[in-house]
Amino acid sequence: MSEVNWSVLVNDDNLVFIRNLDDGSQQSCLANHIPFQQWLRLNKDNLPNDIQAKIDDGTLTIAEAD
Amino acid sequence: MTKAAELAKMGEVLTNSQIGGRRNIIINGAMNVRQRNDSVAGLGDGDEGYVTLDRFRHTAAASAGRFTSAQTAISDLPGFLNCLHLDCTTADTSIAATELLVLEHRIEGQDLQQLKKGTSSAESITVSFYMKTNAEFVFMCVLNDFDNNRVNTQKFTTTTDWKRHSITFVGDTTGALGDDANNSLSVSFYLHAGSNFTGGTYVSNTWQSRASSDNMIAPGIGSFYSSTDNDVKLTGVQLEVGSQATPFEHLSFGETLALAQRYCFAIDAAGLAGSDVLASGHCRANNAAYVDLHFPVIMRVKPTSITVNTVGHFGMVTYGVINLACTTVSLQSATRRVASINLVGSTTALTVGFGCFMYHVNDDGLIVFEGAEL
Repeated sequence: MSEVNWSVLVNDDNLVFIRNLDDGSQQSCLANHIPFQQWLRLNKDNLPNDIQAKIDDGTLTIAEAD
Repeated sequence: MTKAAELAKMGEVLTNSQIGGRRNIIINGAMNVRQRNDSVAGLGDGDEGYVTLDRFRHTAAASAGRFTSAQTAISDLPGFLNCLHLDCTTADTSIAATELLVLEHRIEGQDLQQLKKGTSSAESITVSFYMKTNAEFVFMCVLNDFDNNRVNTQKFTTTTDWKRHSITFVGDTTGALGDDANNSLSVSFYLHAGSNFTGGTYVSNTWQSRASSDNMIAPGIGSFYSSTDNDVKLTGVQLEVGSQATPFEHLSFGETLALAQRYCFAIDAAGLAGSDVLASGHCRANNAAYVDLHFPVIMRVKPTSITVNTVGHFGMVTYGVINLACTTVSLQSATRRVASINLVGSTTALTVGFGCFMYHVNDDGLIVFEGAEL
């Protein structure tokens, strides 16, 4: 899994996450994207500020691993 | 085989309805459909998932070894023109306990009910495939029942020429598979594993519980990472009911693509004429639009991610604006049938409320919808 950080993209109150990968591609996802949730769990103590803010205000939840 | 045995086997095949109708439960077994990438290098530092050929997963745990996965053209196996090719590019001979490299094909439970698994009438299952390697290897073919945490393993030995392997697994009278769209059973090829998977005792063709450990899954296998000389080529993968491998069931490219698009959908602009329209919608700001993109088949579940190889290769067309290149192409929302895509342009030339088309500017644009795979 890439180590590139995600950031928050908000359109019309819809929460989307986006990142630009090293190979020049751009990936976006919804909060329930499984690899994104795995990344959240892996980095939960060192998340980017904008993503941590969404967790703090309750709009983003880190799901428990299956 | 004696004539009598041949007749008996033929009778069994007929009884099990292996002739006629669709036999192969595997999708893309001939390795013809590749929606994502034709080749990806540097794999092996963690679980890699689906990267090249559709429906074939690279299930891995971190290793020092590295490999390239590719769809490779072949000309030395009549009837097959493509294979899944793994090429070891960095060797790893100091194998940690947790290391793993598996090629895996996962199947929905609702597509497996004909196996009658978990009943007294459980059917035998035959896996057949063609494999060619640079040297002789012992690998493990594994059926993995995710619903009931059960596993059945059988070793096979590869050769330096294409060889069709045919491996029959006994029916399992324990543990029914869910009649749903979730991952119930996988066919796996264990190519490299640490002691967490090899430390136990090998028991051939016996369904076992995985309750306490996975160490019985791959005892005694060779290692794909033993040398950078190593490569593995795989094609003609078939899983069918019964104890006899029948000839590989070839499907048309279109049929296979449609089956694969249930799990992954990609817009590949290669080969499309310039300015082909991909989706339509409306301008939501002076530099942005939402467009709806309809999937050609209903996906297994809602996709949750898109990856765009080069965002600037996609653009917007609206009244008075014919070439506004995108700086962002992101997923806004999705159902199993349609996705709403958010497009942001490089300038403020749009008029809110106007209709808008999404098109591709360059013919190497690629958008991959992920999240519906097993």
